Amino acid sequence: MHELADRFARYAAHRMPEAREVRASALARIHGGASRETFRLRLHWREGGRERERGLILRRDPPASLIETERSHEFRAYQAFHPSDVPVPEPLWLEEDPRWLERPFFVMEQVERCESALRALGEPPYAEHRERLGRRKWEILGAIARSDPQQLGLALERDLPDPAACWERELARWEEVVDADALGPEPVVRAAIRWLRRQPPPPAERVGVVHGDYRSGNFLFDAEGRIRAILDWEMWHLGDPLEDLGWSLNPLWSWPDRKLAGRLLPREEAIAVWEAASGLRATAEAIRWWEIFAIVKSLAIWISSAREYADGRSGDPTLALVGWVIKGVQDRIALEALGRWR
Amino acid sequence: MKPQVPRTLQGLAGTLLAELAPRIADDYAQKNAAVVAGLLLVAAEEWDRAAERRVAEHAALRRLFAEVAPRVESAPLRERMEEAARGRDPGLRISLLDQENARLRGLLIELHEHLEGQPGDAARALEERVWAELRAEVERRAIGFWPL
Repeated sequence: MHELADRFARYAAHRMPEAREVRASALARIHGGASRETFRLRLHWREGGRERERGLILRRDPPASLIETERSHEFRAYQAFHPSDVPVPEPLWLEEDPRWLERPFFVMEQVERCESALRALGEPPYAEHRERLGRRKWEILGAIARSDPQQLGLALERDLPDPAACWERELARWEEVVDADALGPEPVVRAAIRWLRRQPPPPAERVGVVHGDYRSGNFLFDAEGRIRAILDWEMWHLGDPLEDLGWSLNPLWSWPDRKLAGRLLPREEAIAVWEAASGLRATAEAIRWWEIFAIVKSLAIWISSAREYADGRSGDPTLALVGWVIKGVQDRIALEALGRWR
Repeated sequence: MKPQVPRTLQGLAGTLLAELAPRIADDYAQKNAAVVAGLLLVAAEEWDRAAERRVAEHAALRRLFAEVAPRVESAPLRERMEEAARGRDPGLRISLLDQENARLRGLLIELHEHLEGQPGDAARALEERVWAELRAEVERRAIGFWPL
């Protein structure tokens, strides 16, 4: 870790020509975020005759990951939403040159004195703020749905998919992942994919920014019940905003009791908050399709993580654990969602 | 006698969680140790039932194919199902059983898709037999440990 901290300090000095005596301390890897290696650290320097210090987050590409996307793609989302009514950490530097830290990375502000763990939502001092956190969570998702990707600089008009084709594009994308990575036949996810193809959803009411992994566990909240930052934008894309709503409602995020969506709000209340904030409607037909799609996408990710571990491309035990445990629960959730459990 | 594999793995998980992990100063490594302990518990649960689960599943799938095959309209699919229904497990090694498992479950997917394309109540009833098998598969694989 000392070597990485020293190398990072040299990089930071290169990016801050006015800074003197740049050094990094307290560099520590953060567990989770299996798609990229994530570190927190404190950067110290002198500038204008004064001592300065700032907490930073370093996100470095791993040798293999759950989700393979370009780091510039994720960085652009932070740039687009900072600052706005969608809270995100301030993005600072994007570095593609591997000579600094062996692999590409980006750096952003560390939002301090926060928690992100799913389990913490049920424990003091956060549990008493569940309702407030829940309302805010789906309000922010509504704000993402409302945002204009062209104004944000995330898309040109020609990039916007046909509203009637959003579902097909995403389904094809994740079916390809299952095709490529399944370690054996997967009858449940195949049945769910066929169900989705047989009854397409209505066209998107509007095409917007889709976060792609909007769920409890992927935002920072504090002890006062505030959501301070939405994280993990690596799967953002343009599409039907209902995709994010469906993903956020996956029963996996509230397993095993499933009383509250994302361990925060009753499902219907979450949908109502999102509708009010986004100005869009989540009809029963459309949201059912996107909830089942979310289960398929989730299964594709768990299948892919199991493959990464099985092939030896990653030694991260979390990838093995999700393949063993979470994928099985997600299969059950798929059967329930298809009305085939009992 | 020696300690059984499940007891050994459970003991290792306990040692890792209670004795070793708390002494790891690095937060990332400590949490990774907890994940490894979780995997040991999962392996303990799976080890004892691994062969039985596969053998039981194969028997259930062969029964299903034998029952449904006469009513499958596609002749090539029917013949493959009849052949699979007559099959036997190649041994008790998990790697060998997994090869057979993949063959049978691949055929189950084909059967399911075929039935979905068939009209009528009879096809729906057969399809329900496939859904029942999918429920049973999920239950056979269920693991008591939950990490989130």
